[in-house]
Amino acid sequence: MRETPNFTGWRVTVLHRPEAATERLTRQLKLLGFHVTVQWAALDAKELPDIILVDADQGWDDLLPWKGAKAPRPVVALLGSEAPGRIAWAMEQGTCTIISKPIAASAVYPALVMAVSIHREREAVHLRLQHLEERIRLRPLVYAAVQKIMAARQIDEEHAYSMLRNCAMQKRLPMEQVAASILGGAEPLPEAG
Amino acid sequence: MDNSVKIGILYSTTGPYGAMGRESRDGAEFAMEELRAAHGKSVQAIFVDPHGNIPEYLEGARSILRDSGCRHIIGTITSLARKEVIPLVEKHDGLLWYMCPYEGFEANENVIYTGGCPNQHLIPLFDYLLPRFGKRPYLVGANYVWGWEMNRLSRELINEAGGEILGERYLPFEEMAVERIINDIEQRRPSFVLSNLIGPASYAFLKAFKQLGARDRAFEPENCPVVSCDLTECELGEIGRGVATGHLSAASYFDSLNSPENLAFKARLTKHFAAERRISNFFASAYSAVKMCGETILAAGTDEPQVVRRRLSGAPLSTVHGTIRIDSETNHAALPFHLGRITEDNGFDIIASQSAIAADPYLTGRRRRSAPKLRIVS
Repeated sequence: MRETPNFTGWRVTVLHRPEAATERLTRQLKLLGFHVTVQWAALDAKELPDIILVDADQGWDDLLPWKGAKAPRPVVALLGSEAPGRIAWAMEQGTCTIISKPIAASAVYPALVMAVSIHREREAVHLRLQHLEERIRLRPLVYAAVQKIMAARQIDEEHAYSMLRNCAMQKRLPMEQVAASILGGAEPLPEAG
Repeated sequence: MDNSVKIGILYSTTGPYGAMGRESRDGAEFAMEELRAAHGKSVQAIFVDPHGNIPEYLEGARSILRDSGCRHIIGTITSLARKEVIPLVEKHDGLLWYMCPYEGFEANENVIYTGGCPNQHLIPLFDYLLPRFGKRPYLVGANYVWGWEMNRLSRELINEAGGEILGERYLPFEEMAVERIINDIEQRRPSFVLSNLIGPASYAFLKAFKQLGARDRAFEPENCPVVSCDLTECELGEIGRGVATGHLSAASYFDSLNSPENLAFKARLTKHFAAERRISNFFASAYSAVKMCGETILAAGTDEPQVVRRRLSGAPLSTVHGTIRIDSETNHAALPFHLGRITEDNGFDIIASQSAIAADPYLTGRRRRSAPKLRIVS
């Protein structure tokens, strides 16, 4: 890890009944630089903190205003139970990592660093997936454009494909977009070269 | 009702870091004698020597906490031993007094930290070194978390400063084969060497570095110092007279401190040992920790850790390190920073100092840190 993780100025919400254990957790979070809110009520989707710690032993559905891996913020589950149902509930909330109860002071910082990192990784993977899905969706256009070039220029598929690709590279556009333009007639057929 | 004040002392006097352990234990013993002289025999110490063995640390801590019914342990040198002992201390709701410089990233309610974390040693050390020697250090370290983490942070500091790390090597505590590292340093020609080595590896390295300086002036201490945050007076004797002369070390205490607290302390020691004795940061820190612990318990009338912690927090405490305060949030002491240059007779000349720096164990404030206020004394 190149840079020391620093949570100074971050906002954290602890979704847990206020009790002695929460006080200790709050103390630890504050000395890591967090602004801490403890509440045992549903989180407001319009006022999201930077990271969320949730009591997975007693948490209920709708405590967090989302479902599944689409959690817009890193979520850490505070878990004492080993019941599969509770573990499943934690995962359904998009939990990145677990801090076991009773909470050891030394467990907090590593869990938060890991949760933030896992959350960023998930977001990056999600974006990449969206991008690839979009490209797959447009793949039939590329196929159709290649067929059109093959027919017009009397060349084989490989050659037609490389013409299309070269054209996209010259214009610095995705192949899908160039293919769409060719099919729509907005773009002249690329010249053989 | 047992009115005695019991303090457990857990240091290894043998093993690779035995020199530090012996010094720490001596400091604790001296503090116990002063406590007993002032408050009578009700002050008891329970000494346990785990011989540098991790399982023995656990056994020792267990016997202090459970069998002796003692709630305060002064001890452990390495982070490995501290991390092993902490869960037991937590379980028995005791208080561990840890007084060694360490790599930070910890703030346990059941631990009082009086030895300093990187914003109190490594960062001011680099503030001093980079403008004077350059931004191209070579890092060597003991092959465990102290060495790894100190070097990781060094890399971060050097990157931020726009410098370059010329090498990073690790050695086990007792590894004496340092030639390959010395050869690498000779070729790469760093601005300085940060050594987080411990024990015999550290001694062997300094000896070989001295020979390197003898054949190439570029590696004499005034051109390329070996700097450390844990090399103290107690180990210079093991290394040999004159071997490490001119190299630098950061600490919150040096024997040569001219403060009234230290001069009075030294005078008491000379009387006690009937001879002058050179004191290291380990001796002074263990002494301070035992005194603070004993006196706080006596003043509070209870050894209840929560009460002791409350009494400690924020109040000015007079120690041989000067007046220090323990922060109630982090349980860490604010400590002065001193930079010492090793003298021909194995002492330190203090060449720069900074007044007490509040501990920032998780380095939360580093990026909004103001310019360092370093006072150069020579």
